[in-house]
Order: sequence, then C-alpha cells, then structure tokens
Amino acid sequence: MAESFPSTGPDLPSPTLSARLRELAAYLAAPTAGHLTEEQRALSLGIARRLVTTLAAELDVGIDVTALWDDWLASGIPSAERLAPACFARGEEHRWRQQSAQSAPTVSPGTAETADGLPAAGESELSDTDRAFLALRIADRRRFDALGNPAIAVADLDPDLLRALLLDIAAWWLARDKGDGNRAAALGDAVRTTGEAQQSATGIDAEAKAYHAILIANGDLSAVAAGAIARHDWTTLVALAAAAGKRRYADMALALITAEAAALPVLLAPLRLDSAALAPLEASLAMLPARALAGDDAGSGATA
Amino acid sequence: MSGERIIRGRVDAGGALVSADPSLLRLQQRAGAGLGRPLALPQLARLVALAQRLQRDISRPLYTADDHSDIHALVRIAPDADGATIEISDWRTRPVVMPQTPPVADVGIVPHGWAWECDQHLRVVALRAGAEAPSIPAGWEGRSLSELFELQPDADGRFAVLRALARQASFQGQRVRVEIGGTPLTMTVAGEALFDATGGFTGFRGIAVRDPERTGAAPTSGTIDPAFGSLPLSDPQFGRRIDGALRGPLSRIIATAETIHGQFDGPIRADYARYAGDIAHAGRHLLGLVDDLADLQNIERPGFKAARDEIDLGDLARRAVGLLGMKAEEKGIRIDAPRTDDRMPAYGEFRRVLQVLLNLLGNAIRYSPEQSQIWIRVDREGDRAMVTVADQGQGIATDQQAVVFEKFERLGRTDSGGSGLGLYIARRLARAMDGDLTVDSAPGQGARFTLSLPAREA
Repeated sequence: MAESFPSTGPDLPSPTLSARLRELAAYLAAPTAGHLTEEQRALSLGIARRLVTTLAAELDVGIDVTALWDDWLASGIPSAERLAPACFARGEEHRWRQQSAQSAPTVSPGTAETADGLPAAGESELSDTDRAFLALRIADRRRFDALGNPAIAVADLDPDLLRALLLDIAAWWLARDKGDGNRAAALGDAVRTTGEAQQSATGIDAEAKAYHAILIANGDLSAVAAGAIARHDWTTLVALAAAAGKRRYADMALALITAEAAALPVLLAPLRLDSAALAPLEASLAMLPARALAGDDAGSGATA
Repeated sequence: MSGERIIRGRVDAGGALVSADPSLLRLQQRAGAGLGRPLALPQLARLVALAQRLQRDISRPLYTADDHSDIHALVRIAPDADGATIEISDWRTRPVVMPQTPPVADVGIVPHGWAWECDQHLRVVALRAGAEAPSIPAGWEGRSLSELFELQPDADGRFAVLRALARQASFQGQRVRVEIGGTPLTMTVAGEALFDATGGFTGFRGIAVRDPERTGAAPTSGTIDPAFGSLPLSDPQFGRRIDGALRGPLSRIIATAETIHGQFDGPIRADYARYAGDIAHAGRHLLGLVDDLADLQNIERPGFKAARDEIDLGDLARRAVGLLGMKAEEKGIRIDAPRTDDRMPAYGEFRRVLQVLLNLLGNAIRYSPEQSQIWIRVDREGDRAMVTVADQGQGIATDQQAVVFEKFERLGRTDSGGSGLGLYIARRLARAMDGDLTVDSAPGQGARFTLSLPAREA
C-alpha cells in the first residue's frame, strides 16, 4: 500500500518569510536592475512615517502615533503600493539636493563691517516675480520637518492617496478604540474636512504654476531656468519644468532624476534651454549614486 | 572660468598635454608646465593614466586648486590608441574662504526652540517649533526676520544678525523679543549663512531658543575651551576665518608638492622628490587637522544634535571598507568585512556613523603592520547594535585606554598620520546619537574599537 503525502509545500509562511520571498521574487524577476540602497529605504520610510504622523495629528490629536506606526511596521503599511512612488520621489529628490548642498562651493565673506541698519526687505518693494519666487521657496520649505528631514506636505499629496491614508489611519484608530460610535462620526468629519482643506491649500504645484506664469509673461523663463541650473537650485528648475510640462512637481523631479543624459533636453524642452546650460544638471545627476535610470522610457517617472 | 561650459584637452600616449582650452591650459601653466609637457595636475594625471590602463571611459569628480581658489568639476576621460581626450564640465571655483554650507539637518533644533530659515533679504521662508517650544506666531510667511523677531542690540550696541548679513557669515547670540499671543518672550537666535552653487548668498538657517526665565544669564558665546586656551573655538567667525585662511594655501602646497613628487615636469633628484612627497604628506595632515577643527567646532556648538536615521551598521561598515579598501591594499592589509547579508539595524545619523567608521577603519589601517588583517564585525546585545573594528596593531595599554578619546591625544605617536582629534570627535558623535565608542586592547594584541548605537527592530 502506497503511502501518500499531500504536497502542499511548507506550512503557512510567516509574514517575515513571505516578505523575504517577495523580495527574492522581485530580485529574480530583474536580477540586473539594481536595488534600493539602505539609504533609499531609510529615507522613504522616514518620509512615510512623517506623513502618517502629520495626517494622524490632522485627524485627531489623541491618536497614539507611536502605537500606530509600530503596528504598521509590524503588519505592513496599508497603502504601501500607492505611498511608495510619492515617498521614493521625495527621497530621491532629497538625496540629489543634499548631494548638491554638500558639494556646493560658497562665497568669501563681504568686507562691510558696519551695516547695522535694517536690510531693504520691505513688502512694498517685492515685485510680482519676487513674491512668486518667495512663495515657491516657502512651499518648498514646508516639505521638510523641523529637523530638516524630507517630508511630504499635505498640500502636495495626491488627493486619492490622502484620502486612502486618512481612512487607513481612522480605521486603525477605531479598531484600537473598539468602535466608539461618536468617535467614528468625528473621524469621518475629520477625514472630510482634511480633504477639503487640502483642496484649498496651495502647495508647491500651485506655486510653481504661478511662478511659471509670471516668468512666461515677462519673457524670463529660459534665463531664470538657466540661472537655477547654474546655482544648483533644483527646486526652482523642477518647479518650472513641471509647470511648463503640465506635470506634478514630484513626477517631474523623479523624471529628471531617473532620466538618461540624452533624455534631459527632451524633458526640459519647454524651458528652451541651450544644451550648454544643461551641463551642470547632467554633471550633478551623474554624480548621484544608485539612481534608478529610466532607460528608453525616460519620461515615465519610473519608480524602484 | 565658470563661463565656459565644457573645457576640453588632449593628452598624447606619453601623457603630455598636447592641446587644451584656455582654462585647462592656465591650470597647467600655474602648476609649472605647459603644452607639450606632461600633465602637471596630479589628480587629473592619475585619472588619465587609469583610463588609459583600463582602456575605458572614466567620469569622476575633480578637485584641484589654482592660485586663488579650489576648483570642483566633473571630468570625463576617453582613452584611445593615441592618448586620451579630457572633457571637464560643471567647472566651479570655490573661493579660498569656504564657510561650508551645512546640510539642513546640521542645524539641529532643540525641543524648546524654533527652527527658521530666511532668504537673502531676511524674509522668513520656514519656521517650525520643537516639541516643547512655544507655538509659532501665525502669518510668519515672508515676513522680515527683523520684524518677526524684535532685535536687541548687544553690549556694544550692535546686532549680530545684521553684521552677519553684511559679512554673509554665520552668527550666534542675537537676543530677540517675540510676542506670542500678547506675551513677550526673550529668545536667542543663531544662524548659518547659506550659499548656492555659484557662491551666491541665499540667506540664513538657524534656531531660536527661548532664554531661561531669569535675569543675568551668562552669555553663551566666548566660552574658553581648555584644550585651546583662550582661542574662541565656539565663535563660528573665528573658526571660519581660520578654516578659510588655512585651507586654500594648504591645498596649493599639496598640489604643488605632489606635482614635484610625481616628477610630472621631468626627472629631478630622487631625494628632492622624496622631500616633496614629505611636504605633500605633511600638508594633507594639516588639511585633515583643519577639517577636524571645523568638525569639532560644529559638534561642540550648543544644541548640536545628530539625526535619528534608520540605518544598517552592516551596510555602513561595508561602505567604509569600500572607501578605504584601496588604502589597506597598499599595505597588504586584508579587511574581513561583514558579509552582504550581515545586517544590524540601528538608529543613528547615516553620514555621522559613516564618519565614525571611516575614522576607526582609517586608524586601524594606519597603525596595523603590513600584511596583517583587520576584522569588522556587527553584533547585538540587548537594545544595543554594535560594530567592532579590530586590528593586529601594537595595541593600547590599559592606562592609555582612558585617555585615547581625549583631544589631541596621540599616545606618543609622532608621525603625521592624524590630528589627535578623530577619536575624540568620533566618541562625541557616538554619544550625540545615544550611543558610545569604547576600546578594548592590550599591548601587542591589537585594538578593538566598538561603536554601539540604539538597536532597531528590522
């Protein structure tokens, strides 16, 4: 009599083992594609945590964010697939800018010793262009936390992703709170009002469009974009390129970072830059390690 | 020079520069050579030789110096049968004074303080409160810093922030008054000057800390550091000036000495070439000392705080080995690094931990005998993640282990390989990340330096 054993494979794998196997499967599917570095993982995870912390505080200041994050770290972040491109784009942009900042040359100090008078910074002296640039800079600085770590401003988040994250956080809080009816209603209201507030907030995309429109009207677009490249002011370049190409800032940042050198003139064509002006950009990107190059599909904003 | 986008040159098979755009030719001439002479810029010459040896294109950052400034550029060498073509892009001159722009995270915020940033006209572009700080006033966006903060003059009737603005330099100790919800607060503001890639001043970034609620508080600046006597080490102005005054000349001394040592401009007597090598070596040591002093000034600044990144000590150890592996190979030293699957998740600031590991590994290579071995191991004990660097050097006696982390302590070593600040800085950094740096050694048995940090669950 032959004995038979069901060949169902190993017992149900642990979440850790499953994660390892998924990682291995992804690796085997594209062994030569290159993979995330620890720095890239850490940056993206930190950006995700800061975003979740901010959104939880928007929903209900009583939410135990530490417990929420610990739970999500253990069980996986619910909206991981939708969150990944946003976090990766922000992380890569930060790496690029940080590399530029660290290698940036600086200027010799001025010789003026007096100048104990107030600088000319009156609001009335601001031109429309200066005011739009200032607003862009403020919108950009909202994309950092108080320690200077990269973050995603709520105003810059894709509305669908925002709603998904808010609902995930609310669901977690309700489950932990054993479904208090009053709290459920309050959380529902908070999700709605946070979504509405985001629609009226002006993030970096709106400021980029406003700045771009003023430069177009003044005929300064190409000169300002070329100046931004020379100064390694990548925020301004990305903002102008995004507005000119009618794309989101994050998409354009990722498209530039993942672009082959040959694709840069195409991506930046609306800015009408001469090829020599692109040299510092090309050089800066070339020095950024572990880039996920998009290859032939340069405009697609590939993610890891 | 920055007007030229791509600077080209051509080197023949013998390594002589046969054609060059004016900028490159000027550098070659300042290094004492010219057209038809061997390439006199040591780093560039080495890259050309490497590309020719490998027979493939090489693109690398290039750092060199002329009479007035340091130069940063990206160089691409394309070798062929008759020599090599040089293309230099993103050519940027760094003026002799170099007030290093800090990465954003370098200006650490204290829990009871605000982090702020303003543009070159002192218009505030960022303002954030620490966890225990007073809430920030509404409508700060774009307001003048001097309007948001009511500036208070110092004892001489001057305003540190305005003097810093005139000099485009960093400042500290600016007392200000702020009104929050009708309540006046006194704060002390410090800031670092920011510059873009063309050297243009772009503003300040800094912190504002609420003053203790008592009168007659001692001033925070001008403290005397015992290791430096009366040198005002905590004054960024002083550090910056020393840094700028030394770095440029030292870079030029090193570049010139390396040119002579490498005999790029033709053969010279062997002992003279050796002397030039000694000069370059000593120059690099002094440059390292300037770097260490700049670092020391940074980490000893009040409110210095390292970031809490999620890091992997195994990965960082392998990175350190990657960076210093060549140096070890020159002495025939084998480094036994953690395997690629050896992970040790921890919390710490990525680049600071790498800095500590480079210091430990650099020391191990420097003080290990030739043909010896260095081990790097990662481990975990309870809530501490650890990485240990062990060597087969002469070791350190027990009584000396207590002082090895002191400033300028070099344990009687008189060679020019280190400043005596590296381990002091490394331990300060480790402790700023809630970790520690310890040593375990005995004479003749090598040394084991262990960096421990808060462990992180993978």
